[in-house]
Amino acid sequence: MRTTARAIVPIVLVVAISLFVEGHNLPGGGFIGGVLTVTAFGIVYMAFGLDFLERGVLGREVDPGKGPSRDRVVLAYRRLFAYGFAIAVVSGLAPLVFERPFLTQTFVMLEGVPIYDHLEVASALAFDFGVYCVVVGGLLTILSVVGAE
Amino acid sequence: MTPVGTESQLVIAPMLIVLVAAAATLFLGRHPRARAAVSLAAGVAYGLAVAAIDWYIVLAPGAPGIATYQVGDWPAPFGITLVADGLSAFMLTMVAVLGIGSLVFSTRHLPGGEGRSYYFPLFHFLSLGVTGAFLTGDLFNLFVWFEVMLMASYVFVAYSGGPQHTRAAFWYVALNLLASAVFLLGVGGIYATTGTLNMADLAQRLADPAAYGLEPVPVVGLLGMLLSVFAIKAGLVPFQFWIPTAYRAAPPQITALLAGATKKVGIYAIIRLSFTVFAGAEVAVDLPLPVVDAAIAGDSPLPFVGAALLVMGAGSILVGGIGAVGRDSMEGVFAYSSIGQVGFIAVPVGIAATTVDPALREFAIIAALVFALNHTLAKGLLFLAVGTVRSATGTSRFADLGGLAGRSPPLAIAVFIASLALVGIPPLSGFFGKFLVFDVAARARAGPVIVLLLVGSLLTIAYATRMWNRSFWGARTDAVDAATIDPVQVGVLAILAATIVVVGIGFDPVYEFAETAAEAALDTDAYVDAVDPQNASELGGSSGGDH
Repeated sequence: MRTTARAIVPIVLVVAISLFVEGHNLPGGGFIGGVLTVTAFGIVYMAFGLDFLERGVLGREVDPGKGPSRDRVVLAYRRLFAYGFAIAVVSGLAPLVFERPFLTQTFVMLEGVPIYDHLEVASALAFDFGVYCVVVGGLLTILSVVGAE
Repeated sequence: MTPVGTESQLVIAPMLIVLVAAAATLFLGRHPRARAAVSLAAGVAYGLAVAAIDWYIVLAPGAPGIATYQVGDWPAPFGITLVADGLSAFMLTMVAVLGIGSLVFSTRHLPGGEGRSYYFPLFHFLSLGVTGAFLTGDLFNLFVWFEVMLMASYVFVAYSGGPQHTRAAFWYVALNLLASAVFLLGVGGIYATTGTLNMADLAQRLADPAAYGLEPVPVVGLLGMLLSVFAIKAGLVPFQFWIPTAYRAAPPQITALLAGATKKVGIYAIIRLSFTVFAGAEVAVDLPLPVVDAAIAGDSPLPFVGAALLVMGAGSILVGGIGAVGRDSMEGVFAYSSIGQVGFIAVPVGIAATTVDPALREFAIIAALVFALNHTLAKGLLFLAVGTVRSATGTSRFADLGGLAGRSPPLAIAVFIASLALVGIPPLSGFFGKFLVFDVAARARAGPVIVLLLVGSLLTIAYATRMWNRSFWGARTDAVDAATIDPVQVGVLAILAATIVVVGIGFDPVYEFAETAAEAALDTDAYVDAVDPQNASELGGSSGGDH
């Protein structure tokens, strides 16, 4: 299980990011990218246990007496949710400043970027990033709190 | 890419206000005062935005009557259209009045627990869902707003966290997931049949199916699926069973919103889809229905809707009324009463759908809207009063209550006015609601319906009297003696009671507003013109030029 997890998790994360980045033109986007990222975390949780992120990765001491929803990593998930939601709302509101309707999107082509030659930077990415954070934050909160109970 | 006009921007304003409020209150988790202040500011802003929609779009002399907003600048029918017309504005106003009351109430009395910091964000999400459902002009988007509304209400039903609440929430979630699945199937079916989900485009295509090469008959069945989903939301018999447990489980100020706002979303969706969107569909109908003495034959799916609504409305009036008489707690009585009252709204809508006389149809919808307005105000007030009584005495069971009238006369007067409005005593708003509904039944020469309405009214008198006698009169119990009643909460109740009286006394403008709303509900052409869904084939070359 752990060996498989070591091999799978990076692949899942890379696929998640690629889905997220190309979401505005192709199937994908913040939601599905977020769900896939959560799957990677889920595999880590299943293979290494619920405290692994706190203790093994972040090197923090875990106080077993506390309720799961008070863990620092869970608080971080909640904050991620709140910030993601705020990013999505603000990016939706931004077009209003330019007298365009709510959620209007545009894009810029960057030419001459190394390796890629041209890179498309879409404003939809900001909104998608917000969605991504909401999904990751929300689902991981549920997963870690319910998983601990 | 056209710049957006002021009226258009007004359409989305209430949604943006609650959206921003939800985001802001999420960050203020540790500052209860700031959270309450932001929420109240949002409530006031929301009220102003809705008032502006009422005046500048609908009621002002020379107002356009309808305004649209294309989210993301995508043209209809591809993008999501938001539409504010008379019907949406009427519903929004109704909900805004109660919503602000419930919000002020919430700042005074919050059930405890860890979830407290999420109360206000959820409250705003609930308002967002309701607002979105009233404003959207897209069937799938309507589904999304229903879900937003439901997500928030799931949490509220389970909010107190006890075993009973969890059980209520579980049933509530299970039932609504099923309903959502049916909704989604219906929406998918309509897309497969007609090739569009934009309501205006849908209305346009169904009115002239040959030009678009579609076969409209399946739409009748699909509309039936949607209708059953909306009936679940509105709590019509036979889909009423979730209401008593869910209403008891949620915090009372939220129950006020569930009864006053989310139920009305169900009613709104029935009216909007049946009359604005599907009325033009050409389907031969021949249905024997002896109750209403009007020709039950036509060339649209409306008679089906009407027949179903009449049966469901009649069942609701009886089940709700009889159930309410025997309950042993205030919120139990009011929950069953809500079932009965929604029946009173469904019956005129049903008559409107079965009749072929356009004047009667409009009049029947006016009656339904006025009754809905009264129900929102009166029942909202009563559920908020349950909250006051519960936070003051710790109970709302009749066995532990008594003598509240002497303990807090203002509270008693407010509840008294709301109960009278429920019964339908002049000059309160309830009188006109009930009077118009009876008038509609009389004009339709529907004898059995009148008898049914009479029985329903008698039951209303019975349970309202019983509730009053048990909790407000009689000897004071220990719980009532020890109560400390919050003045701000009573103030909210007093303002709502005053609104009921004012609506009743100055009824003319309210009637005109309801008339405008009913006209908007029936005027499919104006709706289609305003949204202006371009033809997919016409757009062919020019679409996608943006991206």
